Amino acid sequence: MADKRIELADKITKQYIVVQIGSEKYGIDIGYVDNIVRMQKITRVPKAQTYFKGIINLRGEIVPVMSVRTKMGLEDDVFTNASRIIILKIEDRGALGIIVDEVNEVVTLCEDEIDKVSSSSRYAKDSFINGIGKNGDELISLFEINAIIDEKDNS
Amino acid sequence: MDVSQYLEIFIDESSEHLQNLSDCIMTLETEPDNKDTINEVFRAAHSLKVMAGTMGFKRMQHLTHDMENVFQEVRGEKIKVDSSMIDLLFECLDALDGYLNNIKESSDEGTNDNEAIIKELNDFIAKANGQEVAPKEKGSAEKPAKAAGSEFEAKYEDIDPTDTEQKRIAEAQEAGGKIYGVTVYVQKDCLLKAARAFLVFRAVEEIGQIVVYRPSSQDIEDEKFDLDFSFIMSTDEDVDKVIAAAKSVSEIAEVLAGPFEKKEVEDAEETVVAEAEKEETKPAPAPAAESAPAPQAAAASQAPAKKQAAAKPATNRTVRVDIEKLDALMNQVSELIIAKNSLVSISATEDGSYNSQSFHEQIEYLERITTSLHESVMKVRMVPIESVVQKFPRMIRDLSRTLNKKMELIMTGEDTELDRTVVDQIGDPLQHLLRNSADHGLEDSELRIKRGKPEKGTIWLNAYQEGNNVIIQVKDDGNGIDTEAVKAKAVERGVITQEQAEVMSQKEIVNLLFMPSFSMAKKITDISGRGVGLDVVKSNIEQLGGDVEVSTVLGEGTTFSVRLPLTLAIIQALMVEIRDEKYAIALGSISNIEDIPVKDIKYVEAREVIHLRGNVIPLIRLDKVLDIEPREEEPESLTVVIVQRGDSLAGLVVDNLMGQQEIVIKSLGKYINGNKLISGATILGDGEVALILDVNTLM
Repeated sequence: MADKRIELADKITKQYIVVQIGSEKYGIDIGYVDNIVRMQKITRVPKAQTYFKGIINLRGEIVPVMSVRTKMGLEDDVFTNASRIIILKIEDRGALGIIVDEVNEVVTLCEDEIDKVSSSSRYAKDSFINGIGKNGDELISLFEINAIIDEKDNS
Repeated sequence: MDVSQYLEIFIDESSEHLQNLSDCIMTLETEPDNKDTINEVFRAAHSLKVMAGTMGFKRMQHLTHDMENVFQEVRGEKIKVDSSMIDLLFECLDALDGYLNNIKESSDEGTNDNEAIIKELNDFIAKANGQEVAPKEKGSAEKPAKAAGSEFEAKYEDIDPTDTEQKRIAEAQEAGGKIYGVTVYVQKDCLLKAARAFLVFRAVEEIGQIVVYRPSSQDIEDEKFDLDFSFIMSTDEDVDKVIAAAKSVSEIAEVLAGPFEKKEVEDAEETVVAEAEKEETKPAPAPAAESAPAPQAAAASQAPAKKQAAAKPATNRTVRVDIEKLDALMNQVSELIIAKNSLVSISATEDGSYNSQSFHEQIEYLERITTSLHESVMKVRMVPIESVVQKFPRMIRDLSRTLNKKMELIMTGEDTELDRTVVDQIGDPLQHLLRNSADHGLEDSELRIKRGKPEKGTIWLNAYQEGNNVIIQVKDDGNGIDTEAVKAKAVERGVITQEQAEVMSQKEIVNLLFMPSFSMAKKITDISGRGVGLDVVKSNIEQLGGDVEVSTVLGEGTTFSVRLPLTLAIIQALMVEIRDEKYAIALGSISNIEDIPVKDIKYVEAREVIHLRGNVIPLIRLDKVLDIEPREEEPESLTVVIVQRGDSLAGLVVDNLMGQQEIVIKSLGKYINGNKLISGATILGDGEVALILDVNTLM
């Protein structure tokens, strides 16, 4: 165990929050995550982009909430007790919430556990991930945060 | 000692004086013999000169000094005010404005000497004095008569240096410097004595080193001296130079100086000139005085250096507040404390049972106080638009010259108040509209005469408050907008098709002018016609939460109405419910609320309207506009909120009224876009979020 830790410290590692969306596991770079809150009432904003569910009141601040499912062209969210809103803090643009089905764990991945998705791949254009992390047997799709917040609509 | 603490006052007051000068010179242009105005100009120029001098802005002082001289001659009726002089004076003002801007940015006036202007000013005086041999009044006025010298004592002779000071003097002497005692008298009416003293020190330290201060430098800095202060300095220069340096500072009544020798009582009547002559015979010593340990003097001389290094904006954004407004604020805060105390005492009743009636009373009281507190704070932020519009008469005058059209500007309602942030940003759009009116709106003089209009065109700038909005109108009596020409141009540019053009209403056509890069100017001038114009105006004003409307009558003129919200952050709103969604509508835009039976709805052009007290009002079904599920069953009567924008009305159909509430406007952020219907969101008492409807885009 101690060896493993030293090994990790030697390499460049990153921490990811692992979330469940549908049957897939996604990792979100912990540096972007400000907060994780329970599902709450989302106020719909008419005429907004379809993938914006609306806005919520986060301790007196208005935070827009996005459905990653809609953005990625998946079927609509079904809110359960496990649903969470992950609040991302992005410099210059302020806070943004994204809805996930479930939050699983926090993992630490070092570089050789991550397979970069090459930008020349044929899916790159409408891809929302920048790499695949291997955590034991599990595969974790690592979100490219900028692709999520950028203006494009796959729905 | 650093004058930078006075910098803000200086900038504020100088801007006021400059504005005042500009106004007066405008008046002089129309009535060149107005004695009061001439005096006013003289006074303003003088104050400006004195202030610039105090702050050590020599170029600015120099220019205003020469301006003052010209006015002196005008006052003495030696020169008549004519148009070439007015032009020159305006050039002066622009130059002064340039200095002031430099000072604002970097605490330094810059290096432009404006010699050409100064020379022209002097030419004016020379011309006036050309015929008659001018008595050199100026010289005699500047230098107080020597006879008055008796009231000035050479106090430096009485200085009794302490041991350490004695040592410093000795060291300076060893280094070869000449030791002088200096006593400086400031004028009786001098306002910033400490600043003067500082400037004197600064001036003399350019040529030497001050070793002893009387009173102490701290006291001088704190203005703890009467009219005079003394110091002992070492220098390689002559005593004349020292006196000249000290006298270069304005508002200094007299400077007495002489060699300082401890405990040696000299003849007080001995003239300075004689002393100077004596000094001149001595050999010039090496310039090693710098090494004299004079920490305080060194600190003082660092001050100007520091100021140059820090080229940061020298001023903060400030609001001048009427003391009455502050008093009101203070009173309300006191009341707030009382209300808080009452609540505390209620909750602290011994048996622990709340008396719910008195509790509610206190809550109501608290509510009243917070409302009026909010109003007061908003009032503090409010400034009259005067500060923005006062530069316009001058601008119109200049435009009149460059465009070669005769025109005048009539302004009303300059005292209308708006939030400071709005006022700061409204200047450019208004300027654009005025230029637009002057350039496109008004016809050439010849054409005006041909059309039977007065030769001189008129532009009006009217400001007034209407509910929660302030309206600023820019109106001209020019030709109006030729909608056919606009239409043709739009079709030619491919903005709209011929078919579209045919069905467009006049209003829609006029609105084409607000499209980006749509200029109607036949030729491009430096005033307008580059196609960066009305669209910028519109977007600027929309950013402030306002809007622009145009009405025009061909041949009679055009009116641009700018509507701006009084405040930005907090508004009174009516909360309404549509199905289970809650929306806020700004109270300011609501004219009334009606219950309309469904059977009273009429149709015009297949649109729903209601006929109410002679007005035909289009109905807007908010549920449709906002994509809300339609109701399964239409009720027998509809709740309709009638909203107003300028002259037009519209009826918004809602399900329920929830009441009036004060709401804090919050932005939706940068992610959600393309949404003009919603101007923001607010958080309700129970933590729920409600959206604020932008009535203007609905209509």
